[in-house]
Amino acid sequence: MTERSVSERADFLSRRRARTLPALAIIYFAQQATFLSALGNGSHRDVDHFKIGAWVVLSAVLLLALVTKGFWFQPKEIRDLIDDESTRANRLEAMRLGFLFACGAALAAYFIDEFQPLTVGEAAHLVLTFGLGAALIRFGMLERRAHRDA
Amino acid sequence: MPERLANRLKDRRGELGLTQAELAEKVGVTRKTVNTVENGIFTPSATLAIKLARALDLSVEQLFWIEG
Repeated sequence: MTERSVSERADFLSRRRARTLPALAIIYFAQQATFLSALGNGSHRDVDHFKIGAWVVLSAVLLLALVTKGFWFQPKEIRDLIDDESTRANRLEAMRLGFLFACGAALAAYFIDEFQPLTVGEAAHLVLTFGLGAALIRFGMLERRAHRDA
Repeated sequence: MPERLANRLKDRRGELGLTQAELAEKVGVTRKTVNTVENGIFTPSATLAIKLARALDLSVEQLFWIEG
């Protein structure tokens, strides 16, 4: 078996991230369907607390994957190479869009609260879900485009 | 018409017989970054532009120019 060079390994991992992130974001959004349908109820059953706990953990992991170089178990030279300047530019663009979506979700929460009172947790859930989800999808799309040959 | 940074990266790389991956390795970026610069999707920093020009034995002005 031939040994891959650092740049080949970085390229392979970067492609894998470009494929994985949008899929993860869609799963992340899909998981919220039940939460969003019960929005404004305020009370949660035990199973809901478990789901919310899982959502918090998943959100934290996805957020860390987005804002750090990711690939925490890879050697530093690979991690540095994966995080080269086009990747950083794509990440910044994705986070800009995520910020706009988070602001939009905060505005939506404010208006929903006028008709159906929301708890702080529900409002935070809305803001984080839409902000993080939009940023992940955008980052994945930009990375996929970057890998595509002309 | 908006200005854009055009380049002759692909032609020059071809003249020197380098692949995108080989050029990427020379300048310390991924193949993806070379691909995006080559296709005009990504505007490189001054540092990367200088590194690319050096790797291809050209001046930055010979490698990049403004169109539009």
